[in-house]
Amino acid sequence: MSGSGNGARAARQREDRELLRRYHEQGDTAAREQLIARHLPLVRSLARRYAGRGEPLEDIEQVGAIGLIKAIDRFDVERQVSLATYATPNVVGEIKRHFRDKGWAIRVPRSLQELNARMSSAIDDLTGRLGHSPSVGEIAESLGTTKEEVLEALEVGSAYTALSLDAGPAGSDDDGDPMETIGGEDAEFDRSEDRATIGPALERLPDREREILRMRFEEGLPQTQIAERVGLSQMHVSRLIRRSLAAMREELE
Amino acid sequence: MTAELDEGLERVEVDAPLDLAFQGVVRLIVGGIAEQADFGFEAMDDLQLAIERLLAETGGDGRVKISFELGDGVVRTRIGPLREGRLAAALQESNGEPGTLSLARILSAVVDSFGVEPALDGQIVVRLEKLGTPRP
Repeated sequence: MSGSGNGARAARQREDRELLRRYHEQGDTAAREQLIARHLPLVRSLARRYAGRGEPLEDIEQVGAIGLIKAIDRFDVERQVSLATYATPNVVGEIKRHFRDKGWAIRVPRSLQELNARMSSAIDDLTGRLGHSPSVGEIAESLGTTKEEVLEALEVGSAYTALSLDAGPAGSDDDGDPMETIGGEDAEFDRSEDRATIGPALERLPDREREILRMRFEEGLPQTQIAERVGLSQMHVSRLIRRSLAAMREELE
Repeated sequence: MTAELDEGLERVEVDAPLDLAFQGVVRLIVGGIAEQADFGFEAMDDLQLAIERLLAETGGDGRVKISFELGDGVVRTRIGPLREGRLAAALQESNGEPGTLSLARILSAVVDSFGVEPALDGQIVVRLEKLGTPRP
């Protein structure tokens, strides 16, 4: 990149930072509007990558704009990272979530959804009856189905969990694609900096999820005991653990 | 994916994209492997979670080789070679400050042992060992 290109980018970043300060420190909503307008071309550019997948481009842009607004609202002005770098995974995450949420309704066969719904109580019943965590074969036999269908139905549940992270803390929404970040060094810095702040990410989880993680990873309790303590099924506990860890990871992106 | 029989050990190798979109495929394969080793639901779920968290830490770029050895009530997994220096550091971290949750702590809870081996060109291979729950 040329020197003048670098200079222009640096000037733009300084302007962004000034607008961010005005918004966050003085509540200047006009500055927020300006920031949104300045970064809409980034949203449009990212949205175009997802065009031609059955969704109108305008809708994808609108979804992406929500990610941009969240990024502006959550931006910490003390962070040494550009808004574009910070906003990109938010925008992409919002778009991908939109597609995934739609995908759930379209792609997952009803029979697998129903099997998944029956599996939770089957696992708990079998654990109690057999005195050990049931194998996939035992679950299949009790539900009158095949091992393969049990695995598929479990995966359906996991996939659904991954799509439902909106219910969790306000994270930055995506596991991130290096192709979709701007300013590699900034992103790298951001990530290593945030790794040290995984504690706050944990604190932002809802109380129940945080308590489940504490029981699992500090006390070392198995899922069955956690399920008993919190009054949920073992499968639900499993999903909450997976979802919470994914949400914390996303928060660090 | 390849599978072979080697002196009583079943060995399965997977070469998969690290992209998030393939996480479910990997999880299904891990579930199938755990089922073959006669793991209970909880041990299977633990192994899936361990691999899922490790892959999530690699950043989602490129491909990954995962090999599984299924012994008597045990699944040994090797993931890599990986270029993730940060991943190696994260695995060597202690359990961290109270109230924090490191990758090392997560793995300590869900697998029976794990470690990092150096590979060519400064890359690493992550080893996991998971025992199935003993049955009566």
